[in-house]
This record gives sequence, C-alpha cells and structure tokens, in this order.
Amino acid sequence: MEPITRRRAIGGALAVPAAAALARAAQAADPTEIDLFFPVPVQGKLADEMKKLVDRFNGEHPEIKVTAVYTGSYDDTNLKTRAAIKAGRPPAAVIMSANFVREYVINGEVDPFDPLIEKEGKTPAAYMDTFWAALKPNAVVDGKVYGVPYQNSTPLMYYSVAAFTDAGLDPDKPPTNWAEWLDAAKKLTKPGGERWGINFPGTYDYCGWITSALVMQNGGQYYNHDYGGEVYYNAPSSLGALTLLDTLVNKAKVMPPGVSDANTCTSAFFAGRLGTMLLSTGSLSFVRENMKAPYRVAFLPKSVRKAAPIGGASLILPKGNTPERQAAAWSLINWLTSPEIAGHWSRFTGYFAPRKAAYDLPEMKQYLQEHPDAEVALDQLAYAVPWFDTYNTVAVRKAMEDQVQAILSGKTSPADAAAAAQKSADELLRPYVEQTALKPV
Amino acid sequence: MRADGRLLGLIIAGAAAVLWAVPFLWMAIASLRPGVPPDIASLTPAGPFALANFAEAWRSGDFPLWYLNTVLVCGGILVVQLVTITAAGYAFARLRFPGRDLLFVLFLLQLLLIPALLIVPNLATLVTLHLYDTLPGIMAPYCASAFGTFLMRQTFRAIPRDYEEAAMLEGASIPVLIRHVLVPLARPGLIAFAIVSVTAHWNEFLWPLMAVSSPKNQVLTVGLASFASGAEAGSAWGIVAAGTFLVAGPLLVLFLIFQRRFVSSFIFSGIK
Repeated sequence: MEPITRRRAIGGALAVPAAAALARAAQAADPTEIDLFFPVPVQGKLADEMKKLVDRFNGEHPEIKVTAVYTGSYDDTNLKTRAAIKAGRPPAAVIMSANFVREYVINGEVDPFDPLIEKEGKTPAAYMDTFWAALKPNAVVDGKVYGVPYQNSTPLMYYSVAAFTDAGLDPDKPPTNWAEWLDAAKKLTKPGGERWGINFPGTYDYCGWITSALVMQNGGQYYNHDYGGEVYYNAPSSLGALTLLDTLVNKAKVMPPGVSDANTCTSAFFAGRLGTMLLSTGSLSFVRENMKAPYRVAFLPKSVRKAAPIGGASLILPKGNTPERQAAAWSLINWLTSPEIAGHWSRFTGYFAPRKAAYDLPEMKQYLQEHPDAEVALDQLAYAVPWFDTYNTVAVRKAMEDQVQAILSGKTSPADAAAAAQKSADELLRPYVEQTALKPV
Repeated sequence: MRADGRLLGLIIAGAAAVLWAVPFLWMAIASLRPGVPPDIASLTPAGPFALANFAEAWRSGDFPLWYLNTVLVCGGILVVQLVTITAAGYAFARLRFPGRDLLFVLFLLQLLLIPALLIVPNLATLVTLHLYDTLPGIMAPYCASAFGTFLMRQTFRAIPRDYEEAAMLEGASIPVLIRHVLVPLARPGLIAFAIVSVTAHWNEFLWPLMAVSSPKNQVLTVGLASFASGAEAGSAWGIVAAGTFLVAGPLLVLFLIFQRRFVSSFIFSGIK
C-alpha cells in the first residue's frame, strides 16, 4: 500500500503531465500482476497459442503482467476456481464454461462487469449488443453482466461426402429433419460395424449438450432459461428426443450402442466408418486438419423447429480481487475479446468469434470465403438457444446424462429414463427451490 | 494332476500378462505413428513410423522443468514420509501410552476420507502457511501417511523383541535403536512403501492442479494434460501416447531395473 500513497503525494506536488509520466514510469517499474485461469477444451496446440497471446498482451501493456495458468478441463477449471476463491486466493480472471456463470452468481462468487463498463461511458445493454444475441442469456444474470463471451460453439452435423455417395445419397442435400436423418442413416449403415450412420460423443458434458439440442429441436425448453430451479426432463419434447435416441441405437441400429467419446467419433469419421456425426463447431479446425477425404457440415437436422444450443466459455471476474487487479483484468478481457484478437482465436480454433465486429475485418471475410464450413457454423447462430444452466449445474445435468447413457446402452426405456431423470433432478434442485420459488412469504 | 494345475496357472497368468501388456503395446505403436492415421486403433499397422510425435510432445511443454519439479515433489514427500512413518510406526508398535489404540484408529480413519473432500480446507491451510503455489505446498498434506504408519507398525511388530532387548542391554537409546537395529530389519517394508508413495505422487493430477498455478511450479501430469486433453474435440492420439511415454517412462525404467527387489518387497510386506 505504501508505495502508492507516496506516488500520489509526489503526483499532487508536481505539474499534471509530469505527474502522469511519473505515474506511468512507476507503473512500468512495478506492473500489476494478475493471473488468468484457462482450460483447454479443444485440441492441444491451444495452450501454446494462449501463452503466445498473453506474451503479446504483456508486451503491449507494460503496466500489467499476466500469467496464463492452464487449469485442465472445463470441470477442473471450475473446481480449481471454486477452491481458490474459498481459500482466499481468487484469480483475477477465468475463462469459464459459459453455463457455470449462473451458479457463480447464485453463490455470490463473481463480480458484475457493469461498473467497469459504465466507467467507459457505455451502458451494459449497449455493450452486450456488440456480441451475438444468442450469447446474452448465459452471460447476463438478473439484469447484470457477469460473463464476457470469449470462445463459443454450437453442435454441428459433420458428414462424409464419400459415405454419402457410396450410400446413394446426394451430398448436396444433407438431411434437414429427423425423418430424413434416420432414412439417410439406414442407407449409410453397413452391417458388422463397418460403417455407422450416426454417432455423437455420449460422455459427460457432451451428452447433456447434444441431448438438450435434440429436445430444443423438438420444440422444448429443456430447462427454465430465466430461473435456475426448474428442468423439463419429463416433458413431451424431452420424451420425444429420448425416443429418437432409443430408435437410432436399439431399434434401427444405425448408431453404435454404448457411450462413445469424441476421439472415437472423430477417429471413425476420419477412417470413413461414420456417415454423420454431431460435434462442436470448436472442432472445425481439428477436423479440417485431419480429415483426408472430403467432408461437409450442415445444420443439425430439425424436428419441430431448428435449434442449436450455445457452448463454449466466457470470461468472469471472481470476487475478492483488489480494484487494481480488477482493472488490469478488465484491460486483458477487453483485449482478448477485441475484434482482431477474437477473430484470430476463432480462425485458430474453429470457435466462432462472439464479437460481431470481428466478422467485418477483411481477414475474417477471406477466411469465411475459403472455409464454407465456418460459414455454416455462423449461419446456424440465427437458431442458437442458450446453454443449460441451473443451480448445481453439473449434478442436475448428470441426472439426465446418466439416463441417456442407459438408453444408449439399451438398459432402460425412454419413458422410464425421462421420469427417473426428472425425479433425481428435482431432488437436487430442491434446496434452491425451497429458498426461492417455494419460500413462504 | 499337479502338472495340469501348474499349466492352467501358467495359462491364466500368461493371459493376464498379455491383457496387461496390450495397452502399453498400443501406446508404443501409436506414439511412433505421425499424424492422425485412420487405423489408429490397429496393433499391426503398416507404417510409416517416425519419432515426430516425441519431438512434437517434447516441444509442446517444458519437460525438463516438469521432470525436475516432479522429482523434487516425489523425493521430498518420500524423505519426510520415511522419517514420520518410521517414528510413528515405532510409537504405535512398541511404546505404551494412554489412548494409543484409540489414536491409532483415528489415524486409520483418515484412509476413509476421499482426498477431494479436503481440497478446500487444505488450500486454506496452505494460504495461511504462505505455501500456496509452491512446491512445498504440493508436498505438505502428505508429510504424514496413515497407510505408511500402519505398514511400519505391522512391520515392526513382526520383528522379534530379542533384537531390541539385546541392543538396550548394550545401552542403545531409542533413536539409535530405531536407526541401527529396526530400520535395517524393516527395509523391505520401507521399500514397498516407497514404491507406493512415489508411484502415487508421480501420477497425481488433481491436487497439484489445485495447489500450484505458476508455470514454473508445474509437474508432469498437469503439464501433459495441458496439451493432451480435449473435451470438445478429438485428440491427436500419437502425440498423447508419446507424451504419456515421456511421463511414465522414468517409472517404467526404474521398475525394470529394480524389478526383482520390488517383487520381493511386496511379497514380504504382504501387499499383493
């Protein structure tokens, strides 16, 4: 604390420009040190690229010294951030799975961005308008901005041109609804596991994401977007989606039984043993680099309507940091989400850039022209819906995922699964519901 | 009849060995195949083979630093543990004091706790002790070991008291007695414990991930994950396999060198 008061005292005594120069010099000599927790949710080289970005930021901002801390998967990052906040050592900023933001707000563990935005003479609403509209529900909670979207995705249907031609399907006309999808999958499937029609990762997190996509395409809400205490696992829209999965795996047998992970899906796709797969737009670069045969991407096949849930991560400000650290974190966040850097990161990863202005830059226009698959991902944003976020998000998500995995393994019926998922989710949500919606007045 | 039984045993053991070796074999093959070959699951691929994955994995992270940190952490934990478990094991095996058995049971109860449960309290302690984000911070929670104490108590109790009595007659104090009489006799137990301890801490992921943040304090497992894990996309298996080899390699080599001694230690201590 002491050096700051001394600096201020000197500053007060000198003429203004000299004071400013002195303050800058003093800052340069003693930069504000902050840490950024970041997960690596997609393929490897990202950790390297993130460190390069942070080095560049540090070079351009001598008054701030950022350390990029790799913190594992989205779930590990959540765990480490929680633990660090509770232990009294909150990081200055975190790239957090976008659907965990609400829970941090419910637990009172994050600060809103509103004061920082207002300090720059903008309104929070105008600030959020610079991002794609679909990102807002996961970033704004109770009318305040708690997350700044950084890397975002939606699920996408990848399909193999060779497999389509081989099965007598027209690669220019990918299936657009569930009936066409099932029909195409039947033609694509070859016996003995030689080629499957459909697959998607059924592992935790991915499983819930894809399930919510199917339910929302089926016209459903899946969960209450405005209140963290309700899910609609046993609604007709959910039951219909679970029935589709049961049909794909156990009746039509066009999808491999059991739970596949992302590696299994991509390996099979690269090897020509998979016709269509649902995978994140965040995988675009990885697939583009490794798929030797021609492939294309298309919107998710619809049922009642077109819908694709948002995925990816936002930057958050954990509670308990000094105003200096928070101001430094805000500089970093503004820089990382600037059109130029956001566009660069998007081209490197395959994630779409959350900041709309990124797509006005010439290098981004050129990129979309060269890579029509990235353009499809962007067009699908028109149908994007928010990402599952409730009280106790992970546990409530798993309540459904466990049942979906049981369906994929042929161990339960759709009706039983929907009822069981709803029952255990209700139990997990009860503590929050009793403190909010059911609280006696 | 007897010969048949032996043959059957040999077949079962052989099958188990093959089953155990397949993942290693696959890892070895995958690590030698550059790029993302479509038949990555194959155990008998046609090639091409190259060391490119190892070069890429090595480049992806600061392996020399990670090795150093991991060795420091595992070695540091082991040295402290050997002292504490020997002393505690002796106290529970030989000394008489009120509440000894109750204390021992309390000690063992610790084995029932899931480590993840203690992450937040342990982190808070580290912050108080100014050990957050330091290598000693990773080691701190492991300075005492309930399992090691239990193992050494059993080991000491199996040693006949005659040795100690003879040494006492010669005028040996308790520290001298432990160092020159009991520890040499308990060496197989200590070695067995050392293997368990080093393997566990070499492979540990969650606690180092929680306890340190600075890149300069990173250990192998967390470093490997930083370029090997991917939730939203597939991974390049070859690089993951090569990186895993770099992480597990030193332990594998150590095991091959000391194989005979390891096995005899485990047989001695009854861990199978």
